[in-house]
Amino acid sequence: MTPAGSLLIADGLHKAYGRTPALDGAHFSIHPGEVVAVMGPSGSGKSTLLHCLAGIVTPDSGAVHYGGRDLSKMSDAQRSSLRRGEFGFVFQFGQLVPELNCVENVALPLRLNGVKRKEAEARALTWMERLEVADVRAKRPGEVSGGQGQRVAVARSLVTGPRVLFADEPTGALDSLNGERVMELLTEAARETRAAVVLVTHEARVAAYSDREVVVRDGKARDMAGVR
Amino acid sequence: MTDQETAAPSRGAFARWTADLAMGARFAVTGGRESWARTIMTAVGVGLGVVLLLFASSAPNAYELREDRGAARSTFDTGTLDELKAGPDTLRVADANTTFRSEDIEGKVLAPDGNQPPEPPGVNRVPAPGEMWVSPALKKLLADNELLRERLSYRVVGTIGDSGLSGPADLRYYAGVDGAVFKHDKGQRIDHWGTQPSNGPINPGVLLLVIVGCVVLLLPVLIFIATAARFGGERRDRRLAALRLVGADSHMTRRVAAGESLCGSLLGLLTGGLLFLGVRELASKVVLFDASFFAADIRPSVPLALLIAVVVPASAVVVTLIALRGIAIEPLGVVRNATPRRRRLWWRLLLPVLGIGLLLPLAGGFGANSSSGDREIYQAAAGAVLLLVGITALLPWLVEAVVEKFGKGPVPWQLATRRLQLSSGTAARAVSGITVAVAGAIAIQMLFATVEDDQTRSTGQDPFRAQMAATLQVDNGNQAAATFAKYRATKGVRQVLGTTSGYAAEAHPKKKRATEDSPTESITVADCATLREMARLRHCSDGDVFVAEASSDMYAPDEPSFLKPGVQLNLRLDGDGVPVTKNPKLWTVPRSAEVVKTKTDPQGSENPGVLATPGALEVSRLTDPTAQVMLVLDPRVPDAQEYAWNTSATLSPTMDVYTLTSTSETNQFATLRKALLIGATATLLLIGASMIVSTLEQLRERKRLLSVLVAFGTRRATLSWSVLWQTAVPVVLGLALSIAGGLALGTLLLKMVNEPWTVDWASLSLMTGVGAGVIVLVTLVSLPPLWRMMRPEGLRTE
Repeated sequence: MTPAGSLLIADGLHKAYGRTPALDGAHFSIHPGEVVAVMGPSGSGKSTLLHCLAGIVTPDSGAVHYGGRDLSKMSDAQRSSLRRGEFGFVFQFGQLVPELNCVENVALPLRLNGVKRKEAEARALTWMERLEVADVRAKRPGEVSGGQGQRVAVARSLVTGPRVLFADEPTGALDSLNGERVMELLTEAARETRAAVVLVTHEARVAAYSDREVVVRDGKARDMAGVR
Repeated sequence: MTDQETAAPSRGAFARWTADLAMGARFAVTGGRESWARTIMTAVGVGLGVVLLLFASSAPNAYELREDRGAARSTFDTGTLDELKAGPDTLRVADANTTFRSEDIEGKVLAPDGNQPPEPPGVNRVPAPGEMWVSPALKKLLADNELLRERLSYRVVGTIGDSGLSGPADLRYYAGVDGAVFKHDKGQRIDHWGTQPSNGPINPGVLLLVIVGCVVLLLPVLIFIATAARFGGERRDRRLAALRLVGADSHMTRRVAAGESLCGSLLGLLTGGLLFLGVRELASKVVLFDASFFAADIRPSVPLALLIAVVVPASAVVVTLIALRGIAIEPLGVVRNATPRRRRLWWRLLLPVLGIGLLLPLAGGFGANSSSGDREIYQAAAGAVLLLVGITALLPWLVEAVVEKFGKGPVPWQLATRRLQLSSGTAARAVSGITVAVAGAIAIQMLFATVEDDQTRSTGQDPFRAQMAATLQVDNGNQAAATFAKYRATKGVRQVLGTTSGYAAEAHPKKKRATEDSPTESITVADCATLREMARLRHCSDGDVFVAEASSDMYAPDEPSFLKPGVQLNLRLDGDGVPVTKNPKLWTVPRSAEVVKTKTDPQGSENPGVLATPGALEVSRLTDPTAQVMLVLDPRVPDAQEYAWNTSATLSPTMDVYTLTSTSETNQFATLRKALLIGATATLLLIGASMIVSTLEQLRERKRLLSVLVAFGTRRATLSWSVLWQTAVPVVLGLALSIAGGLALGTLLLKMVNEPWTVDWASLSLMTGVGAGVIVLVTLVSLPPLWRMMRPEGLRTE
């Protein structure tokens, strides 16, 4: 399925870890500004699909096209550059650099792109304000709550103005109140910037923030558009 | 309360400790691959340290046993041939040392006076003339070298036993000769072998070097053991958190952690012991500092071995408990104190100040007073230890104070410095070993620079004019001429500068004095080419005679010499050099003899006196003449020196032969220098290894974070540079501190032995260079695992 106007398209992805298949002919597509929830039980291949879509992992077969370019034909350096400039990431945990304070963590992707420290931190602070964590800017990740840390991570994923945001269980480690607040802020900001969001989750409550759901089961992705 | 009730709590505490330590020990070996990896890492680390400690504690024993065996075969305090009357149990013995391709071979020639001569240690019977006992190493050397077999052409009748050797690589022989070898009073007569081991006073500078050397080499080993005991600490802390979740209190978790460390260090002790036994066997095959040791000699003294067995596991436990001080192990995880307590400076400064306080009073007088020798040694050792330990204690404070100022800069720099700001202790601890080694080495090098001046002496010899020299007491001039001819016919000898010399007294002294007080002057007979090497001659032809006056004060006579052209001389002197007035052998220095100035000969000596050509004075007229040759060798003939040695051996096995060199250094100094070099290199490698392990461990702990950083596009180079900076910053600070500390300690040590302040800048640069090498090495070794950990697999959680 390759709908016209898609920003990111995956076609017939196969990926196995040893003898264990993780993806078995998965298809996926997403439009700019669209929020797609990738759902499925544990071990179904959701995270592997996200990693393939983001160019972190190369599929064994099949192709991922972003903006008309085949990711599997790009070098590691080109994919890294793409991730730095065009993609944003939020994970469940362990993603903030513990030595850097919060504003430095948010500014990190900009600095990796060569933006000067002062400018990067100024831009980071703007996003932190939007995500309501500006008050913890000078604190280290170990000194803030889980919800604040996750919002810092969301700010970091958005600071470069990505066209696609990959979120892997972004609220998995949070309570429902914090989880909802993070999701509200994340989807709001993404829609504002017309960033597409690939949201991996197994919680229906989180998936409810999406425009469309894709269910991954036994390595196959099934689009639930029209089913819901 | 009954006795039973009062005893219960203490037995309970003991039982609790035992149970918790045992549980920790079980964790160390039953936690799967990861636990094993950590335990093995600790065991190997501690084991390496233990090996070094065991070798260090064996050194005094090994040296003492060598010395004892050396003393047992010595004839040092025995007199000349006349001092002991020949008897059935006496033996004439003379040194017959030689050198083969730079290997020194110690030999003695023996001739029994009767049928019960004393046997040298390790030998069953005194060899008969033409026979020889050899050490195993010499036996091998002889088997491999025809040239040496020509020189030592005796028949090998036995191998010298271990009791007669210093070590397995000892090159030694005892050869039987006939009594003719001992004419001209050559050698000694003995009725037993062995002397008391010499306990001569050691140069205070050298003594200080030994003390500081031991401190410098052993402190980093202890630091390394402490570091090894902490390997895998972060992972262990998480395991302990799981224990808390199931009900363990914080004391129990600490005891369990101590048990884990104890297990690792006990295994390390075992590993170290086994490695020591293995390496000890290998060590017997190695020649270090021109010395080899029998494996059986390398055995640690029992008290020191016991001390190691107790201190190493105990220190591992203490180190673990100290490491756990700064963290709280909670049921839901490990909480490190978010803002670690600021390190205090005062007690860290106290240690070096105390060290300086102990060293300063010794300034100028170290080793001068023999009665306070032991106290001074302990004071110097304690001072040096405190100063060096003080430097390592200052390092964490310095690293913390300096990295606190960092912040701005590119991403790799920021990542590294922030990491250090958060936890500088780990890095500082690892570097402290380098700091001690470098500071100590700088101080020692400063001492070396002065000791070197004291102990490396210019010989005055000129190896460009002649390369070898030999001296032989001859019966007459013909024998001298035959000696020169033999050398001339030797392969590889380009020129022979041969002299025959004797002494003469004034035949008719003007000043009346006892005959035995009569001054004598040297008479040297040689051809013009040789005489030109000994005096500044404008012209020379056969038949000429010169009166040579000393050019330097050292060779000038105390009173005006009787020697001048026209003076009549008595050439007949007795064995003690006293002129024999009855039936004198008269010779007159020709009036035409030119008065000339001496010139330093290739051996570095001046030869004032009569210099005569053979046409002017028959050598046969000299009494007890000495033939001396200086040989100019052909550099194109590879074994020219060996051929010359072989010729010497045919003339007399006891002939004095030596190679001319411009400087000589005492063995003591050369040995210390090599020991320091080897010790410092081993220490730096050890510390480098522990830094690599710490860095890898840190990277493994951050595997997931590294994968996340890669996910959002972080370049390899960014993280690689951050590892480099993370290693470089503490090492550079450590080096700066060690240079300052080393210079301070060196200055104090120089003051103690009253030597002027000098710095061996080349060595200082070398040491800092080695430190830089460690940074590069640690970084390079860390890169492949870093890149492996940057793979996206780290993001997988299922």
